[in-house]
Amino acid sequence: MIDAIGTHLIRGTLVAGAFLNLVAQTLIGVFLPPYRYKDVVRQFYFVANQSVFIIVFCVCFAAGVTIIESSFHMKLVIQNDSMVPGFAAMLILRELGSVVMALLVTSRVGAGYAAEIGSMQVTEQVDALRMLGIDPVRFLVVPRFIACVLAGFVLAIIANLVCLYGAMLVSTWKLGYTAGGFVTAMRTFVKFQDLVFASIKGAAFGAVIPLFSSFFGFRCRAGAEGVGLATTNSVVATSIAIIVIDFVLSFVFSYFY
Amino acid sequence: MIKFVNVVKRFGTRTVLNGISFELKEGEILFILGTSGTGKSVTLKCIVGLLRPDEGEIWIDGEEVTRLSEEEYFPVRKKCGMVFQHPALFDSLTIYENVAFGLRRHTHMSEDEIWSAVRQSLSLVHLEGIENKMPAEISYGMQKRVSLARTVALGPKVLLFDEPTTGLDPVTTNAVNHLIFSLSRELKTTSIVVSHDMHCALDIADRIIVLDKGRIVEDGAPEDLKKSQHPLVREFLAEVV
Repeated sequence: MIDAIGTHLIRGTLVAGAFLNLVAQTLIGVFLPPYRYKDVVRQFYFVANQSVFIIVFCVCFAAGVTIIESSFHMKLVIQNDSMVPGFAAMLILRELGSVVMALLVTSRVGAGYAAEIGSMQVTEQVDALRMLGIDPVRFLVVPRFIACVLAGFVLAIIANLVCLYGAMLVSTWKLGYTAGGFVTAMRTFVKFQDLVFASIKGAAFGAVIPLFSSFFGFRCRAGAEGVGLATTNSVVATSIAIIVIDFVLSFVFSYFY
Repeated sequence: MIKFVNVVKRFGTRTVLNGISFELKEGEILFILGTSGTGKSVTLKCIVGLLRPDEGEIWIDGEEVTRLSEEEYFPVRKKCGMVFQHPALFDSLTIYENVAFGLRRHTHMSEDEIWSAVRQSLSLVHLEGIENKMPAEISYGMQKRVSLARTVALGPKVLLFDEPTTGLDPVTTNAVNHLIFSLSRELKTTSIVVSHDMHCALDIADRIIVLDKGRIVEDGAPEDLKKSQHPLVREFLAEVV
């Protein structure tokens, strides 16, 4: 029993050490040449441009649910839903917009990265890179990391603004607000800094996606099952990391409100 | 040229290489034979630093490389070209870009010089006119030969082949085996071929090593090997007879 716990602890420590090593190599790689601008642009297009439709589509529904549920519960508790725009906007900007965006990008981009790098690992393309004197972290991870941080920042702004717009549409259609009334009610609760903090969260969430995906991709074992497992593990680990980082950042930002 | 001194490599509790020692002279063609999981590919990967031995020493060209860092290892890797078990071509690049990949990064050649070097490397493996195709558009055997072209393009002194004929039909297998022989002689390289193919080993090797459970059980010229009484070697020879 003690042996088994000890083995797991040692293995866990080694895995954590390997992950931190990847993080350190990636961060160093960001600031050192060669700078692979073309790869960054191509990855940014893949992450941001090709994800934007699915994010807009999903956050619109999230906005509708937020408004309808807030209204229902406020009416139930305080027999009045006049504060719905404010509360809904605060919930969207502080949590919903960035987190929903990040989880969607994780399932689309993170899974793709893990499968791609996992396949490269299994078919010895990663070894071939090393044989050609190319650091796989600098070549594969760094451009994806930079692209995801930038895309996370931009997508968080888009997701939050679209979500707020969706909330406004649902409020006018379902709760009888005018657009002006919604904005006025909203502005008593939220400020511009909420959008800034939301975009910082988006960038932080964007950073963890390629790190976990690449980490599990590089550790991928041979075979279709190995690639599948790497993909699953990367999505699960990234989703957990996003929730934990969300808590940490919300805690830190609470000192600025 | 290449020397192994009591090299041990473990994966967890499993010892894959159990103190192997051998020395390879410049220009020799060495075949490493053995059943699956006996450490043949691990031996090759230890030479180029893709895996690091737990014990022992590896010498390449008079330099002890066992404890070199990843950066320090690159000049060693430049001397050694490796053809992997999989073709390991980069899927998103054309055949031309795959072969030019190393040249672009490690030489100061102009684009015209790279173009002619790529064509020359492809003609060495008898593949012309496929420069603009993607790896997925050519057969597996052709992919393996492109992989060989990419390796020889950088002019390595040592060529390492990890099961170069696995998954190929008999005709292509024969062609690849003769390619290995002719390239090694033409480019005057030292070659190590990991294989299961005793027939080919007897045909083109200068020397053959047989591995079993991480140990060398036979080491000699093809003629010496034919006289071996070791059961595993006899089994391999029975296949040829």
